[in-house]
Amino acid sequence: MSLHAEHFSERSPLYRLHQDAQLNALGDSCIVSNYGAGDERARAAHCGLLDLSNLARVGFRGAASAAYLEARGYQLPAVPNQALSQADGSQVLRMSQAEYLLLGSLQDTGARVRQEELAWQFDDTPNYLLPRQDSHAWLLLSGTCQAEVMAKLCGVDLRAEAFPVGSVAQTSAARINVIIANLPLGELPCLHILCDRASADYFWGALLDAMQEFGGQPVGLDALR
Amino acid sequence: MSAQDRLPAPLGLLIDRNAPLTFQFDGKPLQGLAGDSIASALLANGRWLLSRSFKYHRPRGPLSMAGQDANTLVQLPDEPNVLADMQPLAAGQTVTGQNYAGSLDKDRDAVLGHFSTFMPVGFYYRSFFKPKGMWKIWEPLIRKKAGLGVLDLNFQPQYHDKAFLFTDLAVIGAGPAGLSAALAAANAGAKVLLIEQQPYLGGALAWARFDIEGQRGGQLREELLAAVESHANIRILKDATCNAWFTDHYLPVIQGNRLYKVRARQCIVAAGAFDQPVVFRNNDLPGVMLTSAAQRLIKLYAVKPGQRAVLLTGNDDGYLAALDLHEAGVEVAALVDMRSQPIEGRLVTALQTRGITCHSASTVYEALGERHLQAVDIRRISAEGEVAPHSTRIDCDLLCMSAGYMPVYQLLCQAGGKLAYDDASAAFTLSGLPAGLQVAGSVSGRHQLDNVLRDGSDAASRALLALGLASSSEAGDYLAEAPVNFPWPIFAHPKGKEFVDFDEDLQVRDILNATRHGYRDVQLVKRFSTVGMGPSQGRHSALPTARLVAKATGRSVSETGVTTARPPFVAEKLAHIAGRGFDPYRQTAMHQRHLELGAKMMPAGAWQRPAYYGKPEKRDACMQAETRHVREKVGMIDVSTLGGLDVRGPDAAELLNRLYTFAFSKQPVGRSRYALMTNEHGVVIDDGVCARFADRHFYVTATTSGVDRIYQQMLKWNAQWRLDVDITNITAALAAVNLAGPDSRQVLATLCSDVDLSAEGFPYLGVRQGKVAGIPARLLRVGFVGELGYEIHVPARYGEALWDALMEAGKAFDIRPFGVETQRLLRLEKGHVIISQDTDGMTSPAEIDMNWAIARSKPFFIGKRSVEILEAQPLLRKLVGFSLPSGSAQPLEGHLVLKGPDISGNVTSCEYSQTLGQIIGLAYCAPDQATPGQSLPIRVEGGAVVQATVVKLPFYDPDNQRQEL
Repeated sequence: MSLHAEHFSERSPLYRLHQDAQLNALGDSCIVSNYGAGDERARAAHCGLLDLSNLARVGFRGAASAAYLEARGYQLPAVPNQALSQADGSQVLRMSQAEYLLLGSLQDTGARVRQEELAWQFDDTPNYLLPRQDSHAWLLLSGTCQAEVMAKLCGVDLRAEAFPVGSVAQTSAARINVIIANLPLGELPCLHILCDRASADYFWGALLDAMQEFGGQPVGLDALR
Repeated sequence: MSAQDRLPAPLGLLIDRNAPLTFQFDGKPLQGLAGDSIASALLANGRWLLSRSFKYHRPRGPLSMAGQDANTLVQLPDEPNVLADMQPLAAGQTVTGQNYAGSLDKDRDAVLGHFSTFMPVGFYYRSFFKPKGMWKIWEPLIRKKAGLGVLDLNFQPQYHDKAFLFTDLAVIGAGPAGLSAALAAANAGAKVLLIEQQPYLGGALAWARFDIEGQRGGQLREELLAAVESHANIRILKDATCNAWFTDHYLPVIQGNRLYKVRARQCIVAAGAFDQPVVFRNNDLPGVMLTSAAQRLIKLYAVKPGQRAVLLTGNDDGYLAALDLHEAGVEVAALVDMRSQPIEGRLVTALQTRGITCHSASTVYEALGERHLQAVDIRRISAEGEVAPHSTRIDCDLLCMSAGYMPVYQLLCQAGGKLAYDDASAAFTLSGLPAGLQVAGSVSGRHQLDNVLRDGSDAASRALLALGLASSSEAGDYLAEAPVNFPWPIFAHPKGKEFVDFDEDLQVRDILNATRHGYRDVQLVKRFSTVGMGPSQGRHSALPTARLVAKATGRSVSETGVTTARPPFVAEKLAHIAGRGFDPYRQTAMHQRHLELGAKMMPAGAWQRPAYYGKPEKRDACMQAETRHVREKVGMIDVSTLGGLDVRGPDAAELLNRLYTFAFSKQPVGRSRYALMTNEHGVVIDDGVCARFADRHFYVTATTSGVDRIYQQMLKWNAQWRLDVDITNITAALAAVNLAGPDSRQVLATLCSDVDLSAEGFPYLGVRQGKVAGIPARLLRVGFVGELGYEIHVPARYGEALWDALMEAGKAFDIRPFGVETQRLLRLEKGHVIISQDTDGMTSPAEIDMNWAIARSKPFFIGKRSVEILEAQPLLRKLVGFSLPSGSAQPLEGHLVLKGPDISGNVTSCEYSQTLGQIIGLAYCAPDQATPGQSLPIRVEGGAVVQATVVKLPFYDPDNQRQEL
């Protein structure tokens, strides 16, 4: 029996847009492995869009958050609006002096970061969990055209020379708030875009519209491997 | 001339001789070539009369062939006022003339020109308003005649969008100066954006002549293009118009259907200069054009601009153009130089060698002909603007004129630059430019080609220094510049028709009359006469106007100045400004389920919510059925859009104490409490509940439309108070439903085993955390709809699964979803207000009977002082419940409540309640109308007045027994 998103209780806000796609399990949910048409790897290298909303992510904020994360083995960016890749492929984005966003790794299907969300306990220490997996959808815009695509939606200069690897921007794109991080996967240029989960359908459409002139289309996870 | 009769290659830089295109002009099939503009294709077909002038309907032909004038405005099927000399020719295109009565060739309105004496500047200001009431008669006639072209009201909008473009250096203009600047900057490592309005690079190098041999321009262009087009650091935008300069080099650049928002760190304007016409009688006759236009026709389109030509010039470039015309097979009958002699003496010899007669210190005094030029009347210049009586007539069908050059100063003046004019040398200078904005080439007064190139590289050098890509800037030596502007190229004629402004049909006397009316300031002259207000925005009229005003008012041109240049540089479409519409919307996790169940969706701010489930024509029936279900069985509504804020930390209760009117310090964990918020003026601005899940953790709900504002307020106030608290907006992170109705406990019990759901274990206003269908959930017992009910809030990723589980579990209890409009009816039956529907920007707590929600013993909450002041005043209005018998005319929201002849309030909510069998509603009224049982007059649709009865709230279940089950 082929996988279907509704077999899982965790669902991406965009899962209906991937009806004809081949799915793979991803932790307690699923992800598009491919759409079954064309060379998705080439598409990803040029201009591709992947829904990573089911991959784990979580935020922590508070005066004790840095110490808490360091104690759990994370290396933290030195300054806000920077991201630091961890050895296991997960990412730590520093959103402000005392706020961090953890992005799960495809290598462990987000297991480590997912565990962080489950392990956190509300206590007297100023370290507050932020439910980023539920508040934000996670889209990955890949390929060499990414900066030109985003220039149609966003006023921040996202060209590699102005927005180098590891940069984070908290800004507005297509009139909604977004977090954008330049975090390539190997050699593949990738902008990771986190937007309001409730606006995911809108933003996915806006991105595809912007990608159209570059021949951009959705891609599955297989194209990134 | 047919389309095939073009001049031989290499003339015709833009056309493809192997790609003929068929098109129509005024119903006549014609043929052009790919690369043609509409105008060049028409001219290649011998069609010279392209348009009719705005006021006198005079015949007009091409003037600049560069989109700088209004002479080529034509009508396309879906677009009026298209510049035919800029619009590329397309296969099958249908083009017509515009602004005529009859036909373009025989325009009956041309008779207006004979009455020009009676239609001086500003005549309409003084003519049509007397006697009283006459304007109503004149107005429709004037409106019928006003305006150009016809709008296609069935026009289908095309896709337009915008994009940012980031660059180190923007170079505006790809003539020799721009190319030189771009190349120098790119070679030093700068990322350069080269913006060119025309579809080709090189500017004048592509069509002008720079030496007697006629070789240098083309060679230089090839060399520069080879370097520029292959340069990795240069991005070229052709056919792209930089339409303004805004602070920090923010440049709107229009290319096709896209508006680029260019952000450049440095900017070089190398926009060139506008060839200037000479002002003499009939200088607008088809066949009279700017010299540069004739050269463009030859070099760019291989179109022979005439058979027998006269050139009228104020500089040496006219001589070079005469050589171009001669080489193109045009018989050059004469060159008329307004000066006594050219600067370069060899030019006279070059012309004489070719049999071209030169008339020095002379001018064309009048162009002769009806619909096309037939001859010119040449006179000696006897004094400034005056001519000798002796006349020489030369037959010709082409007159090329050039009085000199005016810098393309518009963008620079928008940047704050000041344009100055030296009356002695007739030369322009620019000053006062902001940092990071350079000028190069003819726009900065450099006309010598070597100087232009040097100027470009020097400007780049300054930009590179500012960019940190060079340690010093260079400034080379420049050759002496010869004057290019003839100081007084204006020759008034006793019969007039010497046009200063072609767009508005303004003659010399029109400008002079304006000064005689007392308008000395050139800005006032502009507004009185409309000079410079047409599509060409003063490109050809600003300088002669300044000269005329200066002379008439006894000042210098420099003292007079030119009119202000404001954005946009050329006409731009609203579609460009609007771009691609971004209209964000938000959907809950259960959105698709609502659609599958046939919900009628409605907007709630950016959210899309189900209003009710069923067809719109059955709205009332659906709502009543859904209401009955909630009252009698169990219903479920998606309340994910409800605002949700986590307030955590040692000072969480203190923060809420200060923000809301109620007291929260002693609120027990596991309980919720109603929360009303007022602003500093004591006005009710939001409400919700504060659910205390831990000593330091409150979950606060806010209205759907208000949560973002409330979140900002919380952050703002906390930034001032510096409390130890973390505030997180988790609205989108939580999906939520309200499971309501007598059977709701039983439905929930099938899915939730780790929470004691009994009335004692989980009482009304209790809050719990547990699992529903295995999903971690926050549970709140609430009573908004007046029945036993549970709000279930879960992480959004599980929202749809929760909905599915509840619908499945509810099948045994005949569960039914209900929508927002049903919920509004349910809460209305309970008399619950909705903030912003039943309140407005003036509502105080007392007006809506919310005094019970104010903790008066608290030392402070936002608005406390104002609330106390308001309470000390007599109430001015009161929100009351009212009822009307079933079958009465139903008031609508906004309908007025009357008190005698006065308005005392308005209806805020009203629906028919099947539960109660009557119409119920909420309305503001005067306090002395608010006693239950009183009659309340409400003016309904059509002006009828119904007598409602004031009712004590709530309408339904006054003892609140059902929600507290």
